[in-house]
Amino acid sequence: MNLVKWSRIKSPWVFHFNAGGCNGCDIEILASLMPRYDIERFGMILRGSPRHADVMLVTGTVTRQIYPRLRRIYDQIPDPKFTLALGSCACSGGVFQQCYNVHEGADKAIPVDVYVPGCPPRPQAIIDGAVKLLQKISKS
Amino acid sequence: MAWEVGLLALLSTLIYPGIIFLVVIALFYQWVDRRFYAKLQNRYGPIYTGPRGILQPVADLIKLLAKEDIEPSAVDKQIFRAVPVLILTMPLTALFMIPITGTWALASFEGDLIFIIFLMTLIAILAFLGGWSSTNIFSTLGGMRAALQALGYEVPMAVSFMGPAILAGSLSVSKIVQWQASHGLWAILLNPLGFGIVIVAFLAELERIPFDIPEAETEIVAGWQTEFSGRKLALIRLALDLELVLASGLVTALFLGGPTGPIPIIPGIAWFMIKTLVLVLIFSNLRALFARFRIDQMVSGSWKYLVPLSILQIVMLELLLGWLSF
Ligand code: SF4
Repeated sequence: MNLVKWSRIKSPWVFHFNAGGCNGCDIEILASLMPRYDIERFGMILRGSPRHADVMLVTGTVTRQIYPRLRRIYDQIPDPKFTLALGSCACSGGVFQQCYNVHEGADKAIPVDVYVPGCPPRPQAIIDGAVKLLQKISKS
Repeated sequence: MAWEVGLLALLSTLIYPGIIFLVVIALFYQWVDRRFYAKLQNRYGPIYTGPRGILQPVADLIKLLAKEDIEPSAVDKQIFRAVPVLILTMPLTALFMIPITGTWALASFEGDLIFIIFLMTLIAILAFLGGWSSTNIFSTLGGMRAALQALGYEVPMAVSFMGPAILAGSLSVSKIVQWQASHGLWAILLNPLGFGIVIVAFLAELERIPFDIPEAETEIVAGWQTEFSGRKLALIRLALDLELVLASGLVTALFLGGPTGPIPIIPGIAWFMIKTLVLVLIFSNLRALFARFRIDQMVSGSWKYLVPLSILQIVMLELLLGWLSF
């Protein structure tokens, strides 16, 4: 395994974007940063700026209002970048499916690498999704 | 031989105790800081990268160096490109004037303490320039705050530095260390208040909680660093790590006797590491203990309390010296 790929797997910095969720998933993201689960063990830090991030955590169904903003924030992340869709909303629209104002999932707006279902997904599920993403990076 | 002396000087500047050694120490201290901070919060911190996570800062650095480097079209290109390089050279230059292996630094001249203060001011000004040249509203705000904060901590810090300088009768860091070594007396014993003020001021200089106002991520995204990505961000982060080494090294040299100690068998470099590690732990402890201040609280607080206290310290020191008739 070469050095650059090793460093990419070992230090995925995450950026969190709420695309119109109910905040349930966001609280679970916080829980996975907290002492009990602590994803900093894997070198993940939550960054405030998309320019510093490698992985984007998208939560919530993508509403019509947020759609262009989600695209723009995604474009602001420097390559190589990866996306994690967290929660049923971000996977498929969840309970808001077929509403007049939603785009039914993050993959309608941006490419998504890993889907983590659940409403909201438990921190264990988020960590599992993150590990799957890291495996995907190491295989690529 | 002239060329051998030259080669030795070159090697000591580049490798030990020069640039490469300092970078390694800076990355190591970042790991210590992160692990200790996590422990205080009942977490583990990075543990899976290398043995006990010790390679985590290295992985971060390599990843950032290999990432895409985005330059937004609206930025002021020349300043935007120059800031990360310049901000890395400042702490490196200042570290050459701090004794690491013995009582002599790589470079030392009368008045280098003033020069170090000047370099540290330049770091704040470069942060302001970086924020300003980004032309992003968050960066501009963060840069403004960095400059404003410098107005707050600079004066008490400089006044407190004068305590050890008065004791040694010299403005050279190396001479202050030698004075402490020859008298067997650490300057902190006569300057306890000054030591505390310098620690608080360095927390602000390093932009750490409770003074991480210029990069407050809950308010202004990432402050003046918002628009920097890839290679530029890697250089800035390395510069901030080196600044931590500079801060702990300078406090060690001025107040804690520098790389000398009561047991003469242990080499100077070991004393330097022990003392700076203790200081790094103090910095991370304070970081975990407090919440962020507002910028107005920080500036007015430092003018209301830190400046009078630092002047009081100097007056007390002079009275004490007159009484002891040193
Ligand atoms: S998946 Fe459930 S918890 Fe998450 S944002 Fe949607 S409704 Fe809220």
